[in-house]
Amino acid sequence: MLTYVLRTLLKMAVTLFIIITLVFFATRLSGNPIDFVIGEGITQEDRQLLIAYYGLDGSVATQYWKFIASIFTGEFGLSFLERRPVAEIAAERIWPSLKLLFSTAIFTFALSIPLGIAAAVYRTRFVGSAIMVIAFMGYAVPPFVIATLLVLIFAYTLNWLPVVGDGTALHFIMPTLAMSGMFVAALTRFTRNAMLDVLGQDYMRTARAKGLPERTVILKHGLRNASITILSVVGLQIAGWIAAGSVVIESIFSWPGIGDLLVRSAIMRDYPVLQFGVLMVAVAVICINAAVDIAYAYADPRIRLAKG
Amino acid sequence: MKKLLATTAATTILASMLASGAFAAELTVGAANVSSYLDPGRDHSNVGSQFYYNAFDTLIDKNHDTTDTEWVPALATEWKLIEPTIMELKLRHGVKFHNGEDMTADDVVFSLNRMYQATFTPYQVRARDRLGNFEKAEKVDDYTVRVYAKRPEPLWETLLNLQQVMIIPEEYTKALAGDPNVAEDDDYEAFSLKPVGTGPYKVAEFVPGERVVWEKFEDFWGEKAPLDKVTVKHMPETASRITALKTGEADIITNIAPDQLSLIESDPDMKAEGSATALFHVMIMNVNHPVLKDPRIRQALSLAIDRDALNEALWLGKAVVPSTHTLKEFGELYQPELKTFEYNPEKAKELLKEAGYDGTEITFDTAPSYYTNGLLAAQAIMEMWAEVGIKGKVNVGDKWTGNSPDMMVRNWSNPMYFADPFGCFGVMWAPNGPSESEGRFNTDEEYAKTWEKFRFSGDVELRRAAYAELMERIKQDPPVLPLYRPYESWAMKTNVNWAPKPGHIPYVLDFRAGSISFN
Repeated sequence: MLTYVLRTLLKMAVTLFIIITLVFFATRLSGNPIDFVIGEGITQEDRQLLIAYYGLDGSVATQYWKFIASIFTGEFGLSFLERRPVAEIAAERIWPSLKLLFSTAIFTFALSIPLGIAAAVYRTRFVGSAIMVIAFMGYAVPPFVIATLLVLIFAYTLNWLPVVGDGTALHFIMPTLAMSGMFVAALTRFTRNAMLDVLGQDYMRTARAKGLPERTVILKHGLRNASITILSVVGLQIAGWIAAGSVVIESIFSWPGIGDLLVRSAIMRDYPVLQFGVLMVAVAVICINAAVDIAYAYADPRIRLAKG
Repeated sequence: MKKLLATTAATTILASMLASGAFAAELTVGAANVSSYLDPGRDHSNVGSQFYYNAFDTLIDKNHDTTDTEWVPALATEWKLIEPTIMELKLRHGVKFHNGEDMTADDVVFSLNRMYQATFTPYQVRARDRLGNFEKAEKVDDYTVRVYAKRPEPLWETLLNLQQVMIIPEEYTKALAGDPNVAEDDDYEAFSLKPVGTGPYKVAEFVPGERVVWEKFEDFWGEKAPLDKVTVKHMPETASRITALKTGEADIITNIAPDQLSLIESDPDMKAEGSATALFHVMIMNVNHPVLKDPRIRQALSLAIDRDALNEALWLGKAVVPSTHTLKEFGELYQPELKTFEYNPEKAKELLKEAGYDGTEITFDTAPSYYTNGLLAAQAIMEMWAEVGIKGKVNVGDKWTGNSPDMMVRNWSNPMYFADPFGCFGVMWAPNGPSESEGRFNTDEEYAKTWEKFRFSGDVELRRAAYAELMERIKQDPPVLPLYRPYESWAMKTNVNWAPKPGHIPYVLDFRAGSISFN
């Protein structure tokens, strides 16, 4: 088991190193940040001064080395725009984004697992079809359209809900709904399909034949077995949310999160911030994959025993 | 009886609150952009200029209600020239910084010399284009300072009124990092996150890119602030800002595009205020590009553009199209009588023929969304060029191409950094200035001589004459065409009385006494 953990950690480290390196060189292909950070009206002489000031004067190798060193100090370099450690900036932004992610995740699970089960169990009835129609529609409408509609109805016209920031519980309603729309749709469909695969299995008939109540049959024998498929999908989905999902929503709701920060740093070529952002997303994805692996083992004794 | 008591108590409290004016007046501003740092010295961005006037003072202030030049005592109560190159200023007594320290000559000398004798790169860069003529500031006694210029300076007050020479506290700044007695680069970096000034509002909270909170500064030397607290929040989406006005989450919002104005004006809860901003959106032409080397080609590119049509179509006629590179804000140096730029498609065709233009494609670079209407204007200009037989093509990209030898034509802006042609045309088009240094504009000895006359003549008439000569040069061999002063709008709740003041540089959010009130 220890070797297994160590090997996983080593793999993570190598993956991260490769990502760091790729990000470093990829960002530098997109233009000199001086042209973006400083803007208009600068002489060539002053440009050279500023290049030195921002630490962009050395060779790419030197800059790369400095960047790697800054990772080990925990600063991750200084933002070109704000001139303070990137880690400090990200720390301000990460919590609002996480809060939105949690509320979206909770809402999505709470809604789509029961819906998916219902759609599978009642697949031949009207309820089942209705759920699937709504799910397909949800899948087809992008989050920013949902967000805009919500804002138009509940904020602009009715003045019921606030649109700026993350101040109160009310602030979470619209962004959560907008973010969840597509995920609820996706997860409902996956849950339904996973349940359908399971419902036709022999052991389900056995469970019923034993005289177990239908509720236990569906939830214990059905959902438990379907959960392997659902888990792997959920893992990918959360990774996707972290990577990109919230950028537009954060912008619409003036959410002081990481998405907004990344967009700004990409436009202004604030490399240190951009690098750190991509790195954070990568770490999150890697961690989630690990978490999903563990969750697999928990849900499925076969996997647990094989790895043990 | 109990009820009566309660009512009496409530009335008493209410009355005493009214008497002391204790009703908290708070305001929330929804801003499209919030600064990444707050240091008036190193900043000259449009985003930044929103934030300095409430919290900082200059030695000499200006009457911002008018575009005429009226200097007003601020941190200096009087000033006089004791030699053509030496100005002596008497400082106001009893001025406190937001951290409680008294302002003395030491702080003033420190603030000025951090720019005049800059060691910190961003200050050096900022000082070079506008403060190059200043040698040093010196303390005479605790409330007297002298400022030394290298050559006689016609713009003393103007250049002491700059945002870049707003006064900051010496001891506080030096103690922010490293050795508390030495001004290091790290001190200035730290200052820009924890700024302290002498203005009517102190910066109570600053989250870069997200939020600025001003609180009333009770020890302000002048008329106290009318608001107790102002919160500026970053709201990047225009539609979200407008919605925030509707939900009451904002009282004032910035950067309203012209096409949103009718929506706001038709709503009884909101209103808009705006003005033609003191900056030009311009078209620049690379005089050294092989295709554009002949000035006649560039004249034609300029003559072909019907700027009034652009104004009507893109700005609902609210922008201002100039006849030359001049702004009303320049006071005595405002010269609308000069006719440097005009629309004349027939002449454009003739010039193209004379110059032997062979139909080579001419590219026009623009960012997709940096300038309001920038891309639309570029596309319209292509149509206008086509009318006279110029083959144009719009190149969309985020990268600044103004320093590339391959750049042919692109858009840019020439902001008014201070109210003088030197603060607008001058910053960008001086000999060895940014344009020449980027290799798309050439000057010769004669241009430099005329420039000197314009920059340093003590007599306003001589300066006007020299500027007219410079404009004639620009007309004959054009590197630039000012398209228009864009129209910038703010929207607010109907009960808020606020408008941008004509005497400010662009985008200043001025909430000082007399600048804002409520119905």
